[in-house]
Amino acid sequence: MTPTRRQFSGLSAAALFGTVTRVSAQGTPIKIGAVNPYSGGMAQYGDEVTRGFELAVDWINVQGGVIGRRVEIVRGNATSAQEGIAAVEQLVGRDKVDLLTGTYVTAISNAASESALNYNKLYWETNALARDLTDRGLPNYARSGPSSNEFAKRSVEGALEVVAAKLGKVPKDLKIWMEHEDSAYGTSIMKEQERLFKEAGVTPGIGSHSARAIDVTDSILRAKNANPDLWMSTAYVTDTNLLLRAARDQGFKPPAIMLLGVGDTVETLEALGKEFLEGILLVSYPRPDVNPKFGPGAADYLKAYRAKYNRDPIAPQSMSAYVGIKILYEAIKIAGSVEYEKVIKAAATLDKPLGTYEAGYGVKFDAKMQNSRALPIVAQWQSGVVKAVFPKEAASEGVTVVNLPRA
Amino acid sequence: MTEFVNVLAVGLLLGGIYSLVSVGLNLIFGVIRVVNFAQGEFVMLGMYGAFAAKFALGLDPYLAVVVVVPALFVLGAAIYWFVLRPLQGESMMQVFATFGLLMVLQNVVLAVTHGMTYSVNSVLSTMSVSIGPVQIGLVRLIVLVAATAVTIALGWYLKASLRGKAIRAVAQDRKAALLMGIDVERTYTISFGIGTALAGLAGCLLSPLYSISPQIGINFIMPAFAVVVLGGLGSVGGAYAGGIIVGMTEAIAGFYLDPALKHAILFMVFIVALLVRPAGLFGHAGAEEVGLREQS
Repeated sequence: MTPTRRQFSGLSAAALFGTVTRVSAQGTPIKIGAVNPYSGGMAQYGDEVTRGFELAVDWINVQGGVIGRRVEIVRGNATSAQEGIAAVEQLVGRDKVDLLTGTYVTAISNAASESALNYNKLYWETNALARDLTDRGLPNYARSGPSSNEFAKRSVEGALEVVAAKLGKVPKDLKIWMEHEDSAYGTSIMKEQERLFKEAGVTPGIGSHSARAIDVTDSILRAKNANPDLWMSTAYVTDTNLLLRAARDQGFKPPAIMLLGVGDTVETLEALGKEFLEGILLVSYPRPDVNPKFGPGAADYLKAYRAKYNRDPIAPQSMSAYVGIKILYEAIKIAGSVEYEKVIKAAATLDKPLGTYEAGYGVKFDAKMQNSRALPIVAQWQSGVVKAVFPKEAASEGVTVVNLPRA
Repeated sequence: MTEFVNVLAVGLLLGGIYSLVSVGLNLIFGVIRVVNFAQGEFVMLGMYGAFAAKFALGLDPYLAVVVVVPALFVLGAAIYWFVLRPLQGESMMQVFATFGLLMVLQNVVLAVTHGMTYSVNSVLSTMSVSIGPVQIGLVRLIVLVAATAVTIALGWYLKASLRGKAIRAVAQDRKAALLMGIDVERTYTISFGIGTALAGLAGCLLSPLYSISPQIGINFIMPAFAVVVLGGLGSVGGAYAGGIIVGMTEAIAGFYLDPALKHAILFMVFIVALLVRPAGLFGHAGAEEVGLREQS
């Protein structure tokens, strides 16, 4: 008998994850609607997040599925909040999904999850960042990945612990400039950073710009005038590249640069080149290169990704999505059901330490159903490659912080 | 003082970018009287053209001009002939058609690139020049020089060449031009082609400055409209001056007030200028009406 493509894919994943047990699962499959942008400017990241979901599906199906049912992913395309609502309606009404997951974009998650509640469906968030999403207290909503607050917290830790030490400064004497794009994304992270820095006795300078600006040299000149030890930026890909180019043109050379959320992909490498990027710090989702003790199984995840998609991940979001779905399986197992009340109740009982999953995450949901043990890392550009450097446990053997202060 | 000079230099260089993007837009408006919403997408196509020329032929973006500009001229002429010409006499429909073009071009490029941003570097990308206390990226300086050269060359072409005179004649009075034996349709086609080619030139010269994405064109179009209205609808020199004014306003407001407020300040200046001089600083009285006025 010739195996079908799905069976072949499952067997390949089984071989790669090294855990062939049983391939049969009874009953109707659990259908997970994956709401993400699959067209438009954000499509590549929507696709990337969903690749993480698909790998998690392969992983569970070779073990016989969850609660005796195979798992399937059904894609729902949403490039805006309005489309998010429509995608949920279509996934629930036409495709008969049991629950929903996503989302690369906060605004889409916000609208789609409310729509999911109208259908009494769980919305399991793995990647959208804004803290407000869990602060709403939506009863069908949980987030397995880090929120914007965790990104802000990690960036402040990186500044006070890594940068200050490397520059030989007392943390409170660090001169910091925080640049952010002026939408809710950049502003919310900046506000949390500012709060944390002030707690540590540091008063940073703050600058903002529009992500659609044709020119950001004025922002760079303002930062240059402040003469900071550390220049931090929270922005999108294109304006980050524009800021870095303007810094290069204006001869703005702060001893340390830290980028949040972006700047860790080939898009920035091609724009600026590895010489310029050398030593730039990045606050990012944990990557498959993390130390195996920090993120057990991350290397296997990378192998499975390469085998299925014939290339390396384009961004680290996919591994966070993969881990998020694995946490979901555990909640479903305890609940014995996919009903949102039961899954949320079960998820709230999960208690696993940091370092349990590939991304280094543990799991312990707070009262708002935000996983408090999902934390980003600080990475660094080193010879054209991004490497995890902080916390120290995340760094692979032999990897240390380089070129700080920047040459 | 050094700081102020530096900000002025930044504004001047930004003005060069706006001028280069706007001059083609203003030519199309001045002659065909169509507000071309797709002009930013032609700039975007020029950028991708520079990327493709680098990828396929190994051409530096400045050399890619030789390939991209003629290609955009042909594309522009074809778009006029097949899309806008059939809508002749339906000014509003022509405007809507250019908006449709914007969506088509953006989404086709999105489908091809899957939204991935690309960069195309020139050997000049990392070079900068110091003029006194002011440091200037060479790529930006080239854009300013090109914008100045294009304005002078286009002004000369319109004033001195036979074809340029024909374009001006059609712009002033289409019916009279027709009676004088000028081939109006051909003039429109060539004008739209030149306007599109200028966008292609802007795209090539700007490509080393930006990460190229399918949505980048729309970032240019809003300020470009402000530039052409401020400078004077249909005036080539007005587009240049408008670009410099907009660039200066943005740089000064962005540096001394707040970068997040610079567009608000710019459009306040824009509204005041319109109230004082509705035809724009260098436009002719009544020009502001022609885009919506039915052509005879």
